[in-house]
Amino acid sequence: MTHSFFGGVYPATRKDITRRKPMARLAQTPKEIVIPLIMCADGPSTPIVGPGDPVLVGQPIARRGETGAAAHASVSGRVSAIENRPHPWGGLSPAIIIQNDERNEPYDGRLPPLDPRQLTVEQLVERVEASGIVGMGGGVFPTWVKLARSAGKIDTLIVNAAECEPYVTADYRLLLERSEHILRGAQALARCLGCERVVLVTEGDKLSAVEAMERRLRRRGGGRVQILAVRTRYPLGAEKQIIQTVTGREVPPNGSPLDVKCAVFNVATVYAIHDALFQGRPLTHRAVTVTGGAVTRPRNMWVPIGTPLRHLLETCGGLREETDRILTGGPMMGIALQSLDAPVMKDTNSLVCLTGWEHKPDTPPGGCIRCGKCVAACPMHLAPVFIRLALEHQDLKKLARFHLEDCNSCGCCSFICPAQIPLVETVNHASIFLKKGVAEQ
Amino acid sequence: MSVFTPKRLSPQLRQPSTTRVMMLDMLVALTPALGMAVFFFGVRVLALCAVSIVSCVLFELLYRLLTRQSMTIGDLSACVTGMLLALSLPVSAPYWVPVMGAAFAIVVVKQFYGGLGRNFMNPALAGRMLAGTMPMLMTTWPQPLHRLSLTAVDAVSAPTPMSYLHEGALPPQELDMMLLGQRGGCMGEVSAFMLLLGLGYLLLRRVISFRVPGGYLGTVALFSLLSAPSGVSPWVWTAYQLMGGGLLMGAIFFATDPATSPVTPRGQVAYGIGCGLLTLLLRFHSPYPEGVGWAILTMNCLVWLLDRLGLPRRFGIGNFAATKAFLAQGRANLAEIKFVIPKLTVTLPKPKEGQAPGEAYLDLLRAASRTFLPLVLVLAVTGGVIHSVQQFTDLDTARAAVQAQQEVLAQAMPQASVGAETPYRAIGALSITAGYDGEGHLLGYCVAVQSQGFAGPITMTVGVDLNGTVTGVAVTSHSEDLRVGGEAMTPEALARYVGRSGTIRPSGDNAVDAVSGATATSKAITAGVNRALNIVANLDTSGGVTYEDTE
Repeated sequence: MTHSFFGGVYPATRKDITRRKPMARLAQTPKEIVIPLIMCADGPSTPIVGPGDPVLVGQPIARRGETGAAAHASVSGRVSAIENRPHPWGGLSPAIIIQNDERNEPYDGRLPPLDPRQLTVEQLVERVEASGIVGMGGGVFPTWVKLARSAGKIDTLIVNAAECEPYVTADYRLLLERSEHILRGAQALARCLGCERVVLVTEGDKLSAVEAMERRLRRRGGGRVQILAVRTRYPLGAEKQIIQTVTGREVPPNGSPLDVKCAVFNVATVYAIHDALFQGRPLTHRAVTVTGGAVTRPRNMWVPIGTPLRHLLETCGGLREETDRILTGGPMMGIALQSLDAPVMKDTNSLVCLTGWEHKPDTPPGGCIRCGKCVAACPMHLAPVFIRLALEHQDLKKLARFHLEDCNSCGCCSFICPAQIPLVETVNHASIFLKKGVAEQ
Repeated sequence: MSVFTPKRLSPQLRQPSTTRVMMLDMLVALTPALGMAVFFFGVRVLALCAVSIVSCVLFELLYRLLTRQSMTIGDLSACVTGMLLALSLPVSAPYWVPVMGAAFAIVVVKQFYGGLGRNFMNPALAGRMLAGTMPMLMTTWPQPLHRLSLTAVDAVSAPTPMSYLHEGALPPQELDMMLLGQRGGCMGEVSAFMLLLGLGYLLLRRVISFRVPGGYLGTVALFSLLSAPSGVSPWVWTAYQLMGGGLLMGAIFFATDPATSPVTPRGQVAYGIGCGLLTLLLRFHSPYPEGVGWAILTMNCLVWLLDRLGLPRRFGIGNFAATKAFLAQGRANLAEIKFVIPKLTVTLPKPKEGQAPGEAYLDLLRAASRTFLPLVLVLAVTGGVIHSVQQFTDLDTARAAVQAQQEVLAQAMPQASVGAETPYRAIGALSITAGYDGEGHLLGYCVAVQSQGFAGPITMTVGVDLNGTVTGVAVTSHSEDLRVGGEAMTPEALARYVGRSGTIRPSGDNAVDAVSGATATSKAITAGVNRALNIVANLDTSGGVTYEDTE
């Protein structure tokens, strides 16, 4: 391995809390499932069921808009309402509410499994679109769009199992327990997209998963698949950084991975694609890690999408001590939840309840001591210390030179800053200030 | 403050190392060196450290209180400054030295510029270099294991290894003594091993990165290897260069100060290399044996430039495009410099209505005179002064006197190219002039003496070199009749004295025979030469003069 990315930080991973806990199904499914219509970065979907309609597991209940993705019922029961409910991204948004009848009857109109040997790109895109699959690592970009765009244009397919966020072990458990499916999914994707190389990237702290994967590869021949275990460093899982680590290529500014002939899929997405192709199951369930020092019985779980987070937390025994911050999506990039009534979404990989000791509550930021750690930590080659100074001087000309649009909000600078200055927010603010200033001129 | 500081939304985790923890780590990393200093130099080290730290904290406290600013002593940076300042002093320094250094460091260097992170010079180093301008205080280096009591300052001074290295020789200390610190020097800098322990701790705790000390020590090591004097193993020479003086302390604790080193990784490497080059330049080519302090302070002033040159290139555009963009930016910056061509053409004003013809010219003249009058006045006064100086001084005579002096020197001491009047006085000597060669080495003394000739006093200048040998005799004035005594004063006759030493007698051993027909004059000259030889032989260059006339 000769490639690497610049910068990065080494937060304490604390994955040992849930690392050895196998994925468990919910002992009791929630009485009410909330499926938001906004589950995708590309806009809302349109409901195709009305209040009072009976639904079964896997039945489509919303159709995609212009791009977007479809939604499916994750339990069987009856639609009780379509109304505004709390959304994990903040605020309220329309959602389909399903009253669970706890019978889990499967949908009889499910799609037939496809033959892996005669799979075409058109079939793949159509099936992924029908199954409502989105990027499950946090990107929530509709996967069928990405597949259609990258077919024939890439030479490297990267399966992102880095899971560089501390605490979260959902992808690790998935990799360990469903390695066969993930491998088959990745191979099918590679065949359809016509790429020479499939690389499954994990971090060095997931060696037992790497071992499981390699056992499978030895037994049945991996073909184009290879496994890459990289030393744990945040943010390895960020799209541009993982491409740089695997191929040494840098995605150009404002460009997409296609510009460097790569495509990155989260390992959970690959698993969902496998299920959709060869089992005919749409995306209705996902792996979620409930963890953090404040949770009584932290564990990994396989839950229906739409399960209210409060139900999830209660299943894990609730809180055993005062929590300082509850969030989804990992503590580095995740944003604090406003309400526990928000449901599990397609990209919710974790529910983290941090104690005050773990979160270290905000103290007033001190003065910058010019240590330069933010510059050395930024994987996007930015210089937050100078951006902050330019913002302080309200110097538009200088701000324009600092490539603010490159920031991917990974949070390395805020994490590392010994003066505890909220640098990510400062850079975002500077970006807004610059846009406003340029518009005024 | 007007700065908008947004609320932190993400990340939810934070590294545990805050500014205060970083400073605490610095103190911890300095502890081994402090312990070794106490072992070698006694408890006075602790007392000096305490004075230094307390005065740093007090000055910071007072300044922040008096200027009604937020209290910042909690970040412990003043403690680190105090500790570093104390450890970079010799143990024989009086107690007021760290207090003065602390006042300069904290108030002038740090707080006047806005406090921690805004100063452009390392406060502790600036305070130490200020104290270093008092050479009597800062050049006595007590010997290790000669422990000082709290009040005693009767230190036994020993040359530091750096003074040997400066002369191109290896110091008497063995390498293992250098490593442990059994040598003269500042309190904190003597023990290389303890300083390296501190470096290890700082790197382990990620308080500093290896870029600055690595660049610094690497550069010094590389150039020492290449520049070892003949007859000395380059490796041994390099080891002494690395462990000698304050290099390790400077590279680990002073150059890495976050506020005064670059923030960009490439800038940090360049800064380390620059520090190393400057240190070697000062070590080898300055009158002082050590150059670490000035090297770091100089590089502190270049941080702004290094930061701008060392900015990481943009992600995803490749090295070639990045270099192109960098050059384009440089060209754009240059293009922004507008060269204003001064307007040299004169336009004559046109008379306005209601003005007499020529009145506009008067206005112009008045305006011009207002601008140029002070300049003209200054020029006039300066010219007048120079003119009067020339009037009242007889330059020709002064020039002739200098010329005559040069001729006498050339005659009395042909080897010397420069003569300099010395302050030495001796009975019988009119003046004593030291003669130097072109490179400034002392060759000998030219003594002006008088002796009684046939017709009156003969004044002559006798050159005597450092071995007590006559280099030449020049007769500057006499009242002899040239027909009678002239033979004794010809260049040939005077040249007979060259190479003589001791006491010259009229006959027998070590004799210069009197010139026939000019016996009295010859004897007078011989007496004068003897007197000059005696004066130089008994010359006490430390001030006192003993001379007894042998005649």
